[in-house]
Amino acid sequence: MLYLLLIFFPITMAASTFVLRRYTNLVLAGALGTMVTQLLIAIQIPLDDPTRLLGVTLMLSTLNQVFLLIFLALGAFAFVAAWNIPHGENFVPIALLTLGQTCAVLLLQDPFITTLLLALTSLTAVLAIVDLPVGASNLVSARAIAAALKYLILMVVAAMLMYIAFVLSDIFRPGEIFDVVSPARFILALLTVSFGLRLAIVPFHTWLTDLVDYAEPLVAALIITLLNTTSLVVLILVFQSFPTLLFESVEVLWLMRVGALVSVLVSGMLAIAPASLRRTVAYLVLYNCGMVFYGLMSLSPVGLSGAIFGALNQTLAVMLLFISLALLERPDGRSPGVVRRDLLRRWPVAGAGLLVSSLALLGLPPLNGALSHMLIYQAAADHGWLELLILVLGTVLAGLGLARMASERLLGPSEELEVAEPLMLGETELDRPAARKLAPEPRSTAVLTIMLLVLCLGIGLYPQPILATIDQAIQNLAFIRVL
Amino acid sequence: MEMNWFLLGIGITAAVILLFRDWRVTVLALLVNYMSIALFLAEQQFITPDLDLFGLALSTLVVMQVITGFAVTLILAITALTFSREYGLESLDEFGLSELRRAARAAQRQQATQPFQWGDYVLPFWSGVLALMASLTLPQLYPIAPSVASDFAWYWLGLTGLLTIATASDLLKVGLGLLLCASAINLIYTAVVSMPTASGLNVMPLGMLSVFNIFLALAIAYLSGLLYGRLKTLELGELYRR
Repeated sequence: MLYLLLIFFPITMAASTFVLRRYTNLVLAGALGTMVTQLLIAIQIPLDDPTRLLGVTLMLSTLNQVFLLIFLALGAFAFVAAWNIPHGENFVPIALLTLGQTCAVLLLQDPFITTLLLALTSLTAVLAIVDLPVGASNLVSARAIAAALKYLILMVVAAMLMYIAFVLSDIFRPGEIFDVVSPARFILALLTVSFGLRLAIVPFHTWLTDLVDYAEPLVAALIITLLNTTSLVVLILVFQSFPTLLFESVEVLWLMRVGALVSVLVSGMLAIAPASLRRTVAYLVLYNCGMVFYGLMSLSPVGLSGAIFGALNQTLAVMLLFISLALLERPDGRSPGVVRRDLLRRWPVAGAGLLVSSLALLGLPPLNGALSHMLIYQAAADHGWLELLILVLGTVLAGLGLARMASERLLGPSEELEVAEPLMLGETELDRPAARKLAPEPRSTAVLTIMLLVLCLGIGLYPQPILATIDQAIQNLAFIRVL
Repeated sequence: MEMNWFLLGIGITAAVILLFRDWRVTVLALLVNYMSIALFLAEQQFITPDLDLFGLALSTLVVMQVITGFAVTLILAITALTFSREYGLESLDEFGLSELRRAARAAQRQQATQPFQWGDYVLPFWSGVLALMASLTLPQLYPIAPSVASDFAWYWLGLTGLLTIATASDLLKVGLGLLLCASAINLIYTAVVSMPTASGLNVMPLGMLSVFNIFLALAIAYLSGLLYGRLKTLELGELYRR
């Protein structure tokens, strides 16, 4: 019953909020209540206790519970942020629907259904990309439609490849060798491309840059935190369900690590090139996706710990990053159409949030990404100094990209310095226009940003409880023990 | 050698979707494609029949696929028929309205200056030939399904779907390509997983596949409606020009 409630409660609430979508405050309060209820339900569900329903097994593992709780908490953060940050008319219903689907993905153990659910979450996300705010007087941008179309096509192709891979896995018998290609390697290749598409690994990354460029920041945050991270959890589940795919392809696993290394390096290089604020943010996220993918593909306990911890940190950092970005992009009371270079001074909380989240993505101590990066570096060092060097080089390049973005947009001198000019002949103080007062950051969103910021710092300083949970979950993964 | 009419139906309708540009032809071809796939699955006896309709032994799951095909086609057809309607104009400001007028003029100009050209069909035609050769060769090189016919069918659907996406000039056709890909995975799942050596068919994945098809059609219809409402055309060239 609890399983069904966890899946269908947000879906029914999505339907209700869709009907009431014009009453923004009411809808946001309802969505927030749903998240709190979901958190309570998720805690009640017994761990590793499988249940059968309509021929399908439902189970919540320790690892999936950690991700589930984080997703629900981030969902709550997103709804609080939506009070002050621009979002589409249907953002809340779509987010609730996506959360319901994500809960189903984390609970279901059938690879075919999981694949289709992942594809369905992407179809739902397409609606959010092209969503306009309530009563918007402008047209939806053609670029946003193009980004949504690209996302739709790539995610359906990814689902198709994943589904074919699972069909082949169903009839695959270990030791089977065809004349042309080993089935295990072929299946692994299909899975690599499909998950590469979903996780935005270079060269399958273009949907993510377009998404960050043209969708609302909250929508981009939702897709990257929920859908990408869920895909990573599913990939771990796939390795756990079909370990023979890995055993029979040990000689070619280095190819996947090379793919991840290329992704890290190319994202770092792209980050240093001149680009808009949003584009640079997208490259930093891509860099982190590459790092997490490398950790997973190193197929060692240390690397896997780093990847899972990195994915958890990524969800937090990305949410903070996009909330900060949305705050920085608000009309700030100054003349529009001018590229501002003093965003940290104008919006101190949002500016700090953007800097801290970017540094967390780069793995700078004492932030939350530091330990996961160290674990991934350690896993790379086990595979040779060259792989470690490439990862470090990628990190340095991404760091330079962040430094460029900070110097261009955040750390510039205040543009509000008013020079007191002497009064002209016949002019009095009363003739002069009143001194302009710029509005401060919205209080609730600023508090939320600070909370996320403190959370990033707190996890960075005291990561042991989460790391212990991850280590415990990894010990249950058969494939990693054997490899 | 006995002719498999349902396989022929799958082949011809997928080719029509790849080649033709008029939505009236392609959407109708999609409907026939869904019907052909359902009848092909019934004929190959992948699923044990549990219904007797007009003397024809069918499975409920096959009937479900026919219903899915009708639903998908209906969604796309209704969307295409209602393109000319205007929605939400009352909330647009003067800039938005003038942009719409400009888009309508540009679309009219484009239609007037782009008469029928055989050249538009060259790329889809040759890609179709390529897909046909690959679909005939791959079942020999890499057989997956229990029969050559079902192997050909899923390879052909998958390849024509991908090539339709690659050569499409409008959004609706991209959607049709995606739906062909979805049909390919439906066919391979039903054919392969029902084999004695496999885990056996499950109702839930098949039901989810139908839901996925319908949601995909809805997403395509929504994006098509949005694009037409924005640019007064479904041409992808116009979408990427701006």
